Amino acid sequence: MGSALRDVLIVMQWDLMKLKNQKIFLAMRVTWFVIQVLVFARAVSYIVKRAVSELIGVDYYYFYLLGVYASLLYSTGISRGYIVAEEFDDGIVEYHLSLPVKRGVLAVGRVLGSALSAVLFTLPMMLFVMLIVGLESPSSISVSTVLVSILAAVLFSVSIVGFVVLVVMGVRSTDLTDILMGAVDAVLIRLSTVFYPLPIIEASGIAPYYVAAALNPISHFADFLRILVFPEYELVAKHGVLPTLLYIAGLAAGLLILALEYYEKKLEAGGWK
Amino acid sequence: MKSKAVEVVNLTKKFGSFVAVDNLSLEVYENEIFGLLGPNGSGKTTTLLTIATVYKPTSGEVYVFGHSVTREDYIVRGLVGIAFQDPKAMWIDKPYDLLLWHAKVVGYSGNEAKRVVREVMELLDLWEHRNKYFYQLSGGTRKKVELAKVLIQRPRVAILDEPTAQVDVLSKHALWDVIKEMRKQGSTVIIATNDMFEAERVCERVAIVHKGKLRALGTIEELKDSIPRGDVVEVEYEGVLSSSIIEKLREYGKVKVAGSTLRIYVEKGEEKVLEIVDALKLSGIRTKKVSVKEPTLDDVFTYITGAKLREE
Repeated sequence: MGSALRDVLIVMQWDLMKLKNQKIFLAMRVTWFVIQVLVFARAVSYIVKRAVSELIGVDYYYFYLLGVYASLLYSTGISRGYIVAEEFDDGIVEYHLSLPVKRGVLAVGRVLGSALSAVLFTLPMMLFVMLIVGLESPSSISVSTVLVSILAAVLFSVSIVGFVVLVVMGVRSTDLTDILMGAVDAVLIRLSTVFYPLPIIEASGIAPYYVAAALNPISHFADFLRILVFPEYELVAKHGVLPTLLYIAGLAAGLLILALEYYEKKLEAGGWK
Repeated sequence: MKSKAVEVVNLTKKFGSFVAVDNLSLEVYENEIFGLLGPNGSGKTTTLLTIATVYKPTSGEVYVFGHSVTREDYIVRGLVGIAFQDPKAMWIDKPYDLLLWHAKVVGYSGNEAKRVVREVMELLDLWEHRNKYFYQLSGGTRKKVELAKVLIQRPRVAILDEPTAQVDVLSKHALWDVIKEMRKQGSTVIIATNDMFEAERVCERVAIVHKGKLRALGTIEELKDSIPRGDVVEVEYEGVLSSSIIEKLREYGKVKVAGSTLRIYVEKGEEKVLEIVDALKLSGIRTKKVSVKEPTLDDVFTYITGAKLREE
């Protein structure tokens, strides 16, 4: 194994090793997710089922479940920003910068490790969604569907974590991180197809909302999962499965490269507010 | 000629308009225990973090075994290990997990990493705390976890930023032995401290920094001798001191008499003490007890900077 790859894998373990200390948080998250899927998702889909399901060709309940998983993964990825900010506050970034690894390796390892830990943290919820969909619509779910969904989740998570790491290191302030992440979180989730299908947004007649939702990375990830599970949804999403995956992969690669550049050229400890 | 482990050349580090380190130059020789002394905010930690490539110099340069911290930072990080002043961990971390990860990052493979982590944790009496959360550990135990990182790494240059702060007295002595052992095993050790007793016990050479500037550099003896008339020859005597003998003693330095105790402030007291005793004897004064007191490093610091090391 190459030395750089070995180092990346070891750095990734920094985030992964912390997962095992988060059993209580995970249990709480899973519990709430299960309640949301079995209670609230049922209720909301009952309200809109007939009108929306006919329009998008997919049962709104499934639409909602895959969307709510996408939003959950997004929020978990965003929460990495708070952890990185906390690490700056506690001086852990200084420790990492002192380690005998190249800055680029550190950047790639941290982003991939954070992304993977976000995916692992939300994996029980993804599998639960797939199980619910599979029980009610067995032909929609296969092993390959699950594996490709996980791969897409990793790519999506890399882009979110890469973005967050760049923002946190750019602003170098815990308070500003809180404000920015809160604002970004609110805007991106709302201006997406997580809960509202694109044709409905289009029908609302608010052009900026429609454009933002169509370009939004969360929309792409949620719609990718929907197309994967229900290929007929491709017509509604207005993107093919491959372009959607390429969008997610391109965003992940771009943000990873930017984070790498930042670590290598600009990052040093100190100056945290 | 001694080879240089670390060479700091005209180092300046600014944070905005604040100058943390101001044109500092010093050398640390291979395989010595070097002390960086100064009060809080004097620039010690900034200097150490620049050596460890955590900070980038604003101007000047630092070399570690000839490698530049700005151009060859990756190589430097392979040579330097640092135990930070504030232990670096989150409340939810566990010492064993942290140290095992650290061992892997610094190059140990799986089983070897587990073995060395256990060895070091046992050496520092940390093994029983291995699975506690960090927030459950005392300040001293947290410091030991920080020191354990350096012991696991065995770097060529070990940087210890206030390694025994918050550590109890018994553990302090044990840690000093550990630090000396690191040197025996080939590491160059740089310690930042404002504990003068620690510096005197452990360090061979020290630099005194104050407000970012280097104020003195040398062995502890050299620094003590640099204070004019810093030694005190103290004599308990019997008899009456005539004005002529007091005049004679003033040739050595300032003289103070309090009851039957005579104090003379001299340079290199150990060389002058016999002459003083002889002079007293010739004047018919019987000496009951004689002692020579050296200045402490605290005195040296106060003399050089005009400030106290610790806030009172």
